[in-house]
Order: sequence, then C-alpha cells, then structure tokens
Amino acid sequence: MGPLIPNGIIPAGWDFVIAILLGIIFGFLLEASGFSSSRNLAGVFYGYNFVVLRVFFTAVIVAMTGLLYFDYLGWIDLSKIFILPTFLWPMIIGGVIMGIGFVAGGFCPGTSFTGIAIGKTDALFFTIGLYIGIYIFSLAFPLFEKFYTSGNLGNVTLTDVTGIPASWFAAAFTVIALAAFWGTMFIEKKVRKNIKEYKF
Amino acid sequence: MNRNYIFLTILMLFLAVGTIFLHKTEKLKQIEPDKLLWEIIQPTRYVSTDHVAKMIIQQDPSLEIIDVRSEKEFNNFSLPKAINIPVDSLLSETSLENFGIPGTKIVFISNDDIKADQAWVIAKRLGFDGMYVMRGGLNCWMNTIIQPVEPPEYAPLTEFATYEFRKGAKLYFTGAKTENTETKKVKVMVKRRKKTKAASGGC
Repeated sequence: MGPLIPNGIIPAGWDFVIAILLGIIFGFLLEASGFSSSRNLAGVFYGYNFVVLRVFFTAVIVAMTGLLYFDYLGWIDLSKIFILPTFLWPMIIGGVIMGIGFVAGGFCPGTSFTGIAIGKTDALFFTIGLYIGIYIFSLAFPLFEKFYTSGNLGNVTLTDVTGIPASWFAAAFTVIALAAFWGTMFIEKKVRKNIKEYKF
Repeated sequence: MNRNYIFLTILMLFLAVGTIFLHKTEKLKQIEPDKLLWEIIQPTRYVSTDHVAKMIIQQDPSLEIIDVRSEKEFNNFSLPKAINIPVDSLLSETSLENFGIPGTKIVFISNDDIKADQAWVIAKRLGFDGMYVMRGGLNCWMNTIIQPVEPPEYAPLTEFATYEFRKGAKLYFTGAKTENTETKKVKVMVKRRKKTKAASGGC
C-alpha cells in the first residue's frame, strides 16, 4: 500500500497539506512533551533531566519497530522510502555544531518555535539568532561549498554498509534505548538530590 | 517505580526482538498488476516488419533484436544481429543482462507474434521499458520483406512506396542475385539448303 504518494494512492499535490497537518501535530507533541522549556532541553547535558533523550528514543524505537512490522504486513514498501544521502564528515561536523548550539542556546530549531508559541523570551532571541545564522551561512556558503558536498556515500542504510539485517539493528537499538531509559532515571535521581526544583 | 513503565519496557523489548523473527519472503521486483494490464492492452508495443527492416538496414545502434524461438529454429534462420533467448530461459541472469540498457530498443521476434508477446509480458512485468514486439513475427517477415507482393493498381501511392522499399530490403537481406548469364547453348541449326541437283540439262 504505502508509501501513499509514490504509489499514487494520494495525489502528489497533497504533500504540502499533509506537511502542515503533521507539522501541527509535531509542534503540539513537542510542546506537550515539555520541549518548549530550554531548562528541560539543556538538562540532558547536565544530567538533571533526560526527557529529551526519552522522548526522542521512544519516538525512534516505536517508529523503527513499527515500520518493520508494517513492511512485513505489506502496508508500506520500505524499498520505496526516501533515504537522506550520507555525507560522512560534513554530517559529523554539523552534528558537533548542532550539539554546541543546543547546549549553549537551550533549544534546537523546532523546539525554539514551540517556545515562541507559548511566549518564551529566550526562544524568541534564539530564533532571531537562528535567522542571522542562516543568513551568514548563505552568504558564506561558497567558502565551504566543497566540504559541504564532500564524502557523499549516497542513499545508504546501515544494512547496505554492514550487510546486517535491519531487524538486528532495530532490536539492538531498542535494547540500548530501554537500558538508557532506566539508566538515566537513576542518574536523574542522584543529580536532582543536589539541585533545587526548577520551574519549566 | 511506575508499573506502567515496566510493562511498556517489556512490551517494547518483545516487539523489537520479534522483528528478528519476521522472515519476509523475497519478492521479485515487479510492476503493479493494474499497470501491467494497462500496458498489455496498449497496441503501441507492436512494430511493423518494415520498421524493423529499416532499422536493420540503417544499422541503428539502439536496436536489439531478441529471438525467442528455440535454438534449433534460430540456427535455421535468424535475422542479422539477433540474439537468441528462448522464452523458457528468459529469466536467467545472463539473459536479463540484455534488458534495461538505457537507449536501446528491444524487439522481440518469434515465428508469429504470440511467443514474442509472452516474452514481452514477462519482461514488462519485471519493470523493463523500451521493448517492442515485431507484428506478425518471422512469418510476416517472409511475406512482406522477403516475398513482397505487388499492390493492385488501385492501391494508394503509399503502398507502392512500401512495396518499393520492400523490394529494396529484399535485395539487402537476400543479397542481390545477379542474373544467370550462362545462357543455354542454343543449338545452331544450320539449315542446309538442299543441294540442288547437278544442273541437269545443259546446253
């Protein structure tokens, strides 16, 4: 059956409508998970709040396992799904920059908008900075264009690279995620003993 | 510790480990059935013998003729540069290498167009494009290219043009036979005039 648009079940013109609907749901869930608070978000770096890790890992393992079952039942054709091309070093560097920005600013791009939606001043300033950053990046792009497009591995998956079936990765990742859930719970308890309760 | 967390952890673990035991039967890559049916009812896959002949004569590099008859029949007679892939070995790996090369036009031929059509459907189902079937097969080839029939006098001019082309194509494929110059020895009949008898009489 799926994916719906490539298989012609939904006409291609609907993709923007679906994007808006999914965006609304995504924003609502981010806010509902407490992602509009920079204290919550930065807490993962200081060890007093692991809600980011839990929410994202839950989303990842549920989606991952769900997709594998959907594929098995014939509800979605995983071979037709778009896979983002991998640029090895640019992605590593980009991840590091993103991490530094995350812990310094207290938001990631998506969550800063949910922060604005509920009227957070820090989120507003973060977003202003975000646009200035985008502007500078666009102007300076020719300087690092070569690096930006280097190391293209194509649309590869872990299964393509290692030859290990996707289900083994899914199972291993789920075990790691579940262990992290329980592990971080203890870390949180220990760290929180020493700090006062904070406001979201 | 929340009981719900324990329950959810066990459930998630169970589901994730369960994915390892999902054994998907390897499905052949093939196009959707309705798309295949749509393609089958299209007459656009047929090309005429004249068209194929023209392509061969012009040595069109994009043309790839695949003869789906048996090897024996192929060895008996085949079109120039045709490749022999009998229908039953169409799905072998070496045969499939001939398909799906961008820019090539594959033309299936058989004695009539039934077997060629079968091969076309099988290859189409696998998702290959740019494939055609020679209408009428080699029987039609014989009737049109090798032994062209002159159209009747009242036929439109285009038919005469086709006929002219076919006559030319016939020469190309069969080789222009030179007329046999060795004429039969004609017995020269020498009619001898009967000897007149010696002049009789005389002076």
